Amino acid sequence: MSSQKPVLIVENLSVSFATPDGIVHAVNDLSFVLHEGETLGIVGESGSGKSVTAASLMRLNNSVTATSTGRVVVAGVDVLSASEADVRRLRGSEIAMVFQDPMSALNPYYTVGYQIAEAYEVHHPEASKAQVNAKVLEMMTKVGIPNPAQRADEYPHQFSGGMRQRIVIAIALVNDPKILIADEPTTALDVTVQAQILDLMLALQVENGMAILLITHDLGVIAEVARDVLVMYAGRVVEKADVEDLFEIPTHPYSWGLLGAVASLEVSSRGHLRTIEGTPPSLLNLPSGCAFHPRCSFASENGSRCTTETPLLVQKGPKHSFSACHLPVERIVEIGQKVGN
Amino acid sequence: MKMRRIGVAVGFVLVASTLTASCGGGYDNTINILTNGEQIAHLDPQRNYTGDDLAFAGSTIQRSLTTYKFQAGDAGSEITGDLATDTGTSSNGGKVWAFTLKDGLKYEDGSVITCADVAYGVSRSFATDVITDGPSYAMTYLDVKGEYPGPYKATAAQQAAYDKAVTCDGNTITFNLKSTVADFNYTTTLLTFSPVPKAKDTGEKYDMHPISSGPYKIESYEVGKALVLVRNDQWDIATDTERKAYADKIVYHFGLEESAMDERLIADSGQDKTAVTAGILPESLKTVFEGDKALAKRAVNYYDPFVGYTNLNVKNLSCLDVRKAIYLALDREALRKAGGGSYTGDFADGFIKPLMKIDYKKPTQLAGLNEDGSPNVEAAKAAMAAAETKCPEVAAHAKDGLKFYYPDTEIWKKALAIWIDSMGKAGIKIKPEAVGDPAQYWPTVMNPETDYDIVRGGWAPDWANASTVIPELFTTGGGFNLTRNASDPDYKTFETKVNDARNTLDRTAQGVKWQELNQFVVDRLWALPGTFTRMQSMWGSKIENSFQWGPFGAFCYGNLKVQLEKK
Amino acid sequence: MFLFVVRRLFFAVLLLLAVSVVTYLLFSALPVDPAALTCGKNCKPDIIAANRIRLGYDKSIVEQYWLFLKGIFVGRDYGMGQAAFSCPAPSFGYSFAQHECVTTLIGRTFPVTAYLSIGAFIMWMIIGVGSGAIAALNKGKWQDRLANAFTAVGVSLPTFYVGLLVLFSVVIWLGILPFPDYVSPLEDPIKFLNAMILPWLTLAILSAASYTRLTRNGMLEAMNEDFVRLGVAKGLSRSVVLRKYVMRAAMVPIVTIAGLDFASLLGGAIITESVFSLPGMGKLAIRSVVESDLPVLVGTTLVSAVFIVLANVIVDIMYGVLDPRVRVK
Repeated sequence: MSSQKPVLIVENLSVSFATPDGIVHAVNDLSFVLHEGETLGIVGESGSGKSVTAASLMRLNNSVTATSTGRVVVAGVDVLSASEADVRRLRGSEIAMVFQDPMSALNPYYTVGYQIAEAYEVHHPEASKAQVNAKVLEMMTKVGIPNPAQRADEYPHQFSGGMRQRIVIAIALVNDPKILIADEPTTALDVTVQAQILDLMLALQVENGMAILLITHDLGVIAEVARDVLVMYAGRVVEKADVEDLFEIPTHPYSWGLLGAVASLEVSSRGHLRTIEGTPPSLLNLPSGCAFHPRCSFASENGSRCTTETPLLVQKGPKHSFSACHLPVERIVEIGQKVGN
Repeated sequence: MKMRRIGVAVGFVLVASTLTASCGGGYDNTINILTNGEQIAHLDPQRNYTGDDLAFAGSTIQRSLTTYKFQAGDAGSEITGDLATDTGTSSNGGKVWAFTLKDGLKYEDGSVITCADVAYGVSRSFATDVITDGPSYAMTYLDVKGEYPGPYKATAAQQAAYDKAVTCDGNTITFNLKSTVADFNYTTTLLTFSPVPKAKDTGEKYDMHPISSGPYKIESYEVGKALVLVRNDQWDIATDTERKAYADKIVYHFGLEESAMDERLIADSGQDKTAVTAGILPESLKTVFEGDKALAKRAVNYYDPFVGYTNLNVKNLSCLDVRKAIYLALDREALRKAGGGSYTGDFADGFIKPLMKIDYKKPTQLAGLNEDGSPNVEAAKAAMAAAETKCPEVAAHAKDGLKFYYPDTEIWKKALAIWIDSMGKAGIKIKPEAVGDPAQYWPTVMNPETDYDIVRGGWAPDWANASTVIPELFTTGGGFNLTRNASDPDYKTFETKVNDARNTLDRTAQGVKWQELNQFVVDRLWALPGTFTRMQSMWGSKIENSFQWGPFGAFCYGNLKVQLEKK
Repeated sequence: MFLFVVRRLFFAVLLLLAVSVVTYLLFSALPVDPAALTCGKNCKPDIIAANRIRLGYDKSIVEQYWLFLKGIFVGRDYGMGQAAFSCPAPSFGYSFAQHECVTTLIGRTFPVTAYLSIGAFIMWMIIGVGSGAIAALNKGKWQDRLANAFTAVGVSLPTFYVGLLVLFSVVIWLGILPFPDYVSPLEDPIKFLNAMILPWLTLAILSAASYTRLTRNGMLEAMNEDFVRLGVAKGLSRSVVLRKYVMRAAMVPIVTIAGLDFASLLGGAIITESVFSLPGMGKLAIRSVVESDLPVLVGTTLVSAVFIVLANVIVDIMYGVLDPRVRVK
């Protein structure tokens, strides 16, 4: 555990959405703490609730359809219950976000310089025009945009995908936030560019000392960047571990599957989690008991327990590995070691 | 912010509108004429040839040599001197007519109305390339030697020839006619005989602003919007026995939505209290005449001057029994129903309408003809049976199929279906021939080359004398004879009698002769009487003198009066 | 940019020429004889023939067209002697039915149509975009359902009936306003407003409906855009996000359609003008069709075409201004 002070505390976060078909339980009882300068990864398939979690941290979910319970504390403010004005003050200044698709994340109607400036000005209303301009150029230089003075006056469509993601990062970091949420920041980019963007984020983390919450389905990215990992499945955390531990001895059958996917990554170059049989469950109608049981080849080892009882997140493996699984510890370690090696 | 400001502006507009509305409840001494027409067909006196427009212009801005009395009922069909001191004097057996102008006659600009102006006005009606659409009686009657193309194109010699036919001696204008016209002083009620000062004549454009000789003058005239008449202070009531000019202003409102006009008059609020409208929509008739009593008092259901009928081609249908069979078999009630029912008119008993008091006497009707308009199939079959023996060829033609030319409109398609059905019951076949462009209907059937058996007919007299009905419709010289009756053995007799009637100077004696001639045509069925058509008009509660003027079937617009509020 | 405009204008002129040729050809192909239409009670063959000469329809269609084209540049003379008159350039000919040069008629009726169009346009943009925005911001709530109902009703109602309904209810049954009687705003602005408010409302209600839908859907679509979420994530206030992000994105298609709608309205709002007795260009045009008044028909058609063409050019330019992605260099 880090001795540094926490910048983000999430306690029992649950998010559900009202849809015409019923209530979707996107996130269930999620808790974690992010410390200053730390990098936490959240990994899971699409539909596992990781992006909803990211949005909840800044209260970006649709206020009409989404219901959130629990607490999300940033800079001493509970994001879920605070006034809109208070949350707005946090957004961009304390907690910022990098989106998955840089092609659609920038406003096509304004120049990139304007968009960076806008992000700065909203939290620095006292800044002069010259100061703002200087800040824009500084940020563009920082994120590695060549010829920033000229390019500031260009529109997003005049930039390549990687360059746009750099602009998005510049916008996110313009106010030196303490927390950066990166929601699949490299998924939409070319493989060669992915590394550059990750490197940039890490370099800037070192410079700013911010904490990064990295959300991805790509264990390769996690391995490269994060120190701690949450594995999410069907809106719940099923494993919480140190990166090294996760890769060494995964303690949840789902994680075993995920690691299998990493192995296949080397072959297919794209991290689709096809090695796990079956499809993620519908969030409208979750399986009873352990939500993973229909896809779990070990579920039958526990009689009917997996289909009736929701497992709690408890320490199962070595060191700090926590897992939500009914399998006996010995059995988990046994299988986990096989997978890890 | 911007949104809010615009919202405030809109709010202001609404409030402003409402405010002005609340103070617009009263009415002025102004007659408001409502119409869905976009303009008056012609205000140029020599081009005006529509009953309603003649009543309007003739009672407000233009005076002619003679006029009908501005009175309700039969008196309204009597003529009197207008610009002329009296109804004129004829000599040389009705071939020369002289009228003496009154003293003190002036145009709106104060200049004197002269005999030469009347002569010039009449001469304009000859220029049919510029002065279109007007009556052509002056050209027909006046004894102008050689071609006369009207004043714009005439050579000096041609103009001299005209000046011999129409002469001025001081205030007296004399017309030399080609032949006797017993009722020429009726002809002179037409605005063809209204003065136009040569210096003010603008040809084609004169239509938009004719110089006034009446109690009102044009203040503004915008097609599609309004014609505004105001008082002409140069007009002297001492020179005019008929015009009263009660209202200060007369406004003709053009281009109004038809259904809205009826609703406005029914609602009767504000300025609409002094509004009048000619014609009521069929869907409003029940409300107006069969609903509220007070409303029915502000409306009238009256005869217009028009008679609807059907022409038979007497040359093809040369057998009276076949013509009788057609008339007897025809379901006139069904036809009237299809056309709009009893509000459209009464079943005609001949070709002269009862409006023409002097010339009308109900003719004896064909034996077996049902008064209620229903067909008498048995009698029709009997007539056909008689025809089989008397004139088998014509009967065969009727069985084979009679060509009926009709305008290709919805209402006429319905009418044709009734015709086909009615005739079928008497063993007569109809071959419908549609004329696609309704505007081409009359030119098509008036073309002597067109081979028809049956065509429609409709006529309104040009003045209150059957001389503009019987000769026009049934003599070979008439302008609208579609019966092709010259080959009828009785035609010569008929023509002689018509000429005799025309030349009869005594109006009452002449009337009796027209009555007999009407009976003559009804007996021979050269054409089948159809409908004495009716019109319905409405006016606001503050309008007085709203009578329908017989000869025109229109309001006597110039004498409409506003019942002013007591102060 | 300059070259772009010049090129567009050049094609616009070509297009207008084509429109005038087609109008002439269509007219000559009609089974209607305008000379017979206007000959009144004396409709005999010789009178019709004389009428044809007077109206100029005796000449070949090519010659008629040539005289028309020439008239635009040098004006046209009519009649002779004392009855002579002329229509100065730019002349679209003379209406013998209305006794006026066509240019004069258009000059007189166009302002009415323009006032009608501009007022209605402003109203329907406020109502349409406003209600669409409210619906989008309250998606699924009663405001949204109300706007949806308004849209469904608005787009399916015929102008004629809405016009009459508005007219009858406000003027005749309730008596809130006097009957609309058009007066130029320069003459009497209050009377002008009285005459225009109902036609504005009628057109606005009907046209607003499609803008409500367009705005609502455009905004909802925009709200799901990542860049809008980024805007919120920046800490921008809701109103700034709505204005700079959501509305801005939703505005592009609205401006395009609004431009074209407005232009076609400028060509004459035939039904609205008829119901409310506004002496505008739409009524002028429809009358010319009914009466086969070729000069007026061609004149009004061309003026409408000019607006459509101009609107297209302006919309193209606006598109570039509004959306940097399609901006022309």
